[in-house]
Amino acid sequence: MIDAPKKAVYRHIPLTGLSPDELLAISQRMKLSLSKEDMLAVKAIFAEEKREPTEVELEVIAQTWSEHCKHRIFGAKIEHTVDGKSEVVDGLFKTYIRAVSHRIMDKKPDFVLSAFVDNAGFVKLDENLAVCLKAETHNHPSAIEPYAGANTGLGGVIRDILGAGKGAKPIASLDVFCFGPPDTKQDAIKAKDVIHPLGIMRGVVRGVRDYGNRMGIPTISGAIQFDDSYIYNPLVFCGTMGVIPIKDIDKSIRAGQLLIAAGGRTGKDGLKGATFSSVSLTTASHEEDQTAVQIGNPIEEKKVADFILAARAEGFIQFVTDCGAGGFSSAAGEMLSEIGGQVWLENAPLKAPDLESWQIFLSESQERMVMSIEEKDLERMKELAALYETELCILGKADGTGILKVTHHGEMVCQLDCRKLHEAPRRHMTAEWSSVDDSEGDVFIPIEDAKTGNAILKALLADFAIVSREPIIREYDHEVQGNTLLKPLAGATGDAPQDGAVVRVDGSTQLASMSVALLPEWGKTHPHLMGRACVDECVRQLVAVGSDPDRIAILDNFCMGNPDDHRELGALVETVKGMAVTAEAYGAPFVSGKDSFYNYFKTDEGPVSIPCTLLVSGMGILTNPDHIVGSSVRGPGHKLALVGEASSGLAGSVFARVMKAGAEDDELDFPQGPDFDEQMAFADYHSYHELVKKGVVLSAHDIGEGGLAVTLAEMGFSTKAGLKVDLAEVPTRDDTPAAEHLFGETPGRIVFEFAEEHAEAVKAAGFSIIGETTDDGHVTITNGKTKLVHANLAELKPVWQKGLAEWY
Amino acid sequence: MPTPHALLVKFPGTNCDNETSRALLEAGFSTEVLPVALLEPGVLSRTQLLVFSGGFSYGDYVMSGRIAQLITKHKLGDKLRSFIDAGGYAMGICNGFQILTQLDLLPRGSLVHNTTGRFICKWAGLKRNASSPYLSELPDDFELPIAHAEGRFVGEEGDAAAYVKDGTAALLYSTDVNGSSERIAGLQDKSGRVFGLMPHPERFTLKRHHYDPDWNQAERGWGHYMFTSVRKAMA
Repeated sequence: MIDAPKKAVYRHIPLTGLSPDELLAISQRMKLSLSKEDMLAVKAIFAEEKREPTEVELEVIAQTWSEHCKHRIFGAKIEHTVDGKSEVVDGLFKTYIRAVSHRIMDKKPDFVLSAFVDNAGFVKLDENLAVCLKAETHNHPSAIEPYAGANTGLGGVIRDILGAGKGAKPIASLDVFCFGPPDTKQDAIKAKDVIHPLGIMRGVVRGVRDYGNRMGIPTISGAIQFDDSYIYNPLVFCGTMGVIPIKDIDKSIRAGQLLIAAGGRTGKDGLKGATFSSVSLTTASHEEDQTAVQIGNPIEEKKVADFILAARAEGFIQFVTDCGAGGFSSAAGEMLSEIGGQVWLENAPLKAPDLESWQIFLSESQERMVMSIEEKDLERMKELAALYETELCILGKADGTGILKVTHHGEMVCQLDCRKLHEAPRRHMTAEWSSVDDSEGDVFIPIEDAKTGNAILKALLADFAIVSREPIIREYDHEVQGNTLLKPLAGATGDAPQDGAVVRVDGSTQLASMSVALLPEWGKTHPHLMGRACVDECVRQLVAVGSDPDRIAILDNFCMGNPDDHRELGALVETVKGMAVTAEAYGAPFVSGKDSFYNYFKTDEGPVSIPCTLLVSGMGILTNPDHIVGSSVRGPGHKLALVGEASSGLAGSVFARVMKAGAEDDELDFPQGPDFDEQMAFADYHSYHELVKKGVVLSAHDIGEGGLAVTLAEMGFSTKAGLKVDLAEVPTRDDTPAAEHLFGETPGRIVFEFAEEHAEAVKAAGFSIIGETTDDGHVTITNGKTKLVHANLAELKPVWQKGLAEWY
Repeated sequence: MPTPHALLVKFPGTNCDNETSRALLEAGFSTEVLPVALLEPGVLSRTQLLVFSGGFSYGDYVMSGRIAQLITKHKLGDKLRSFIDAGGYAMGICNGFQILTQLDLLPRGSLVHNTTGRFICKWAGLKRNASSPYLSELPDDFELPIAHAEGRFVGEEGDAAAYVKDGTAALLYSTDVNGSSERIAGLQDKSGRVFGLMPHPERFTLKRHHYDPDWNQAERGWGHYMFTSVRKAMA
């Protein structure tokens, strides 16, 4: 092996006397992603110290101030205009996320234990244990290198959990993808080197599979959206849930403690990932930014995970965090930002000897964790590292000076007062939104007989939005750890869809549930409603599977295109405002979140942005395993009831998309969004949960994409019974036409199955009995005496089940 | 009867040790998860059952279980053979089965990539094909979850059929799930004390583990009875 040169390699970058444009040129040349205002602020910091910055310092500031790390758009002051009326939003995060959560936390003092301050938010599971959840995106890496991008996306969020509190144990994962349609024509892709959606999908799924399976963390929840707008810029969300003793949530660092790093070695892979993800993609990205994509090694992470959990159990870890975007600089920066301290770069084990100083400090090489310990525990920590076969080094020491001092072979390559760094200049932005004109209402699609109804139902079940994700789900080990009780595919044949997943938690009698919701199609025209509906769907699914409605916490993950485009930013503001309304009504606090901007691609024919996309993922708690409710009917001779009411409005629905795609002309228009009421919905969820606790509910399925007809068909895929519903018994909020009844996606609704003896209890809870389960193997929907759907489940199921198989 | 002791070897990448240990505890064993760094012949004297749990030892980047097998052999040498000959039991689940087949404790054969080329996570119907200390409390037909990419058993010409005939192949899939020769799911040695299988008994110890909420064929999941079977055999 070649010995590393025993000296620091770094340069000074003179800023004194440079004009704003020259400063910006430096930012662009070094790919710092810092604006002119940012660079002027940087110049001022060093002018005050009467010296020139080193490149290490500039890189550290660029990482710290990057959108990826600082979320400056969610902190910006935004002048927002809706339909001509203007308002000033004084920070989206502060106003609509943190404030909402804090109000909820005040009302429910004993539920959220930590939010927005750590790697992930914690909620109380029982007197001794807490659970946490975190979701991240890895969009740009997955666009360029799908396998490695998704692989490290999951690897990264798992480390977020290992670095939450004093080290939480990862117990389940979720993954959510937005891809171009599998049947996209190659010549429809208007840019060189863009990977076809099939290549993206296969690479991404295998990337997630190979990391999650090797780590031994069950992937239990997920979703996929297919839309043309994701061809150039796919979205990859990965999330992980963890569990930790409550006593190990609070962490702090004191002067005199050692910083140690454990896990993988540091290399040139993953340089400038944070700044890379804060700009748009172009064809050049496919050629130039390869070093921004890291290489994953799940076994390295498994070893460091085993080590951290053992060290935490022995009480040695005082503080721990992952090397996220920005590598050691972000980890050490986070740990030393207030207390100050020294970092010794020469101690870091390297993959190759020729790394420059800034590269060691900024590299985002995977599988590395940084923790602080008391010096007296060092020997035992070394023994544990040897036991679990992970490499450990002494990276630095906290010293109480408030200054971050980084040396490399004795030379000072970075000396920053971290308090100044956390004051990135605030952005001022402009947003606008115009509501769609829905005064004419949706186009009327008559459905008067079962022939029409059956044909549409089949078309929806075969649509990429709805077809079974089974080929993908089976590639993920969703049962490792032996705690997955409600699996992503279940029912009598083990292959029917469920609303969420439920896991046991070792050491507790309580159980944790997980679910996700995203409705990007709604956001194209009705972003405010999308925000509301995503929160509702996530909470509703968790309630449907048996979670206590008062013990649900959610995360918001936003992805959007160009925030400098007023309309795109307007959609984001509207989404956030909508989401806040429903979260507050449901008392479901946000405990963590993340945002990803610049998800647009400059094609040969101009920029293509993704639609404003919100993923709401949630964790719930079930007090008793008897409360678990699956989505597959249990047998014939039972009754079916409905939570919620139907309404008109098909905007964003799968039905509207399928109808438009099949139309001869472009005249079909569905401008009207459905209507629901959060106060009523949440009261309903409480009443439903009371029935769950009494053991009344045999199965339940939310009404989501594809509407009531698809929900009933999916409930029947367990093959245990047919289902028969009469629309005349379904309560409505308006004069709801048949198409809306059958295929509308009004939020707030759950269909559930119960035994007839409980009919009085169900009615007393305020729910309408809309039908029954049968032994005829059909899904039948009538309106009084008229049959609108009458389809054999044995014929429907293969249509739904095989839809993705030929593409994956 | 005295509580038998099970020792679970943990390699880097082993990830089913926790739930396997839990299942063994529930079946009446005392258990100990031992990182391979501490593995040496002396540990065999304190255990009656040596367990190789599921996971991806060393990532399984070479051939599944290959590195784990080399390291085990290096550390234990012929003491492993003497442990079995002296009445010790050894069980390999999934990746552990892959390791066992290479340790010469089970009859020759290999576990290779499923014919689909995919990882498969689903439940599989199983048939008991021979008596085994690990299967005595199980019915002839039962089911367990599988989760593997390399679970297809292949042997030299005629081996698989011979194993089915002579009972070496103690466990068969009831339908073809991964392309395994003769639908072999698990093998035992001549003594019956060494047993390896691809399915995961530790994932079906409770009724509630089953995908069908109405499953009610036994008081507990079938996997539990695999561990109680071997527990009984040791009495």
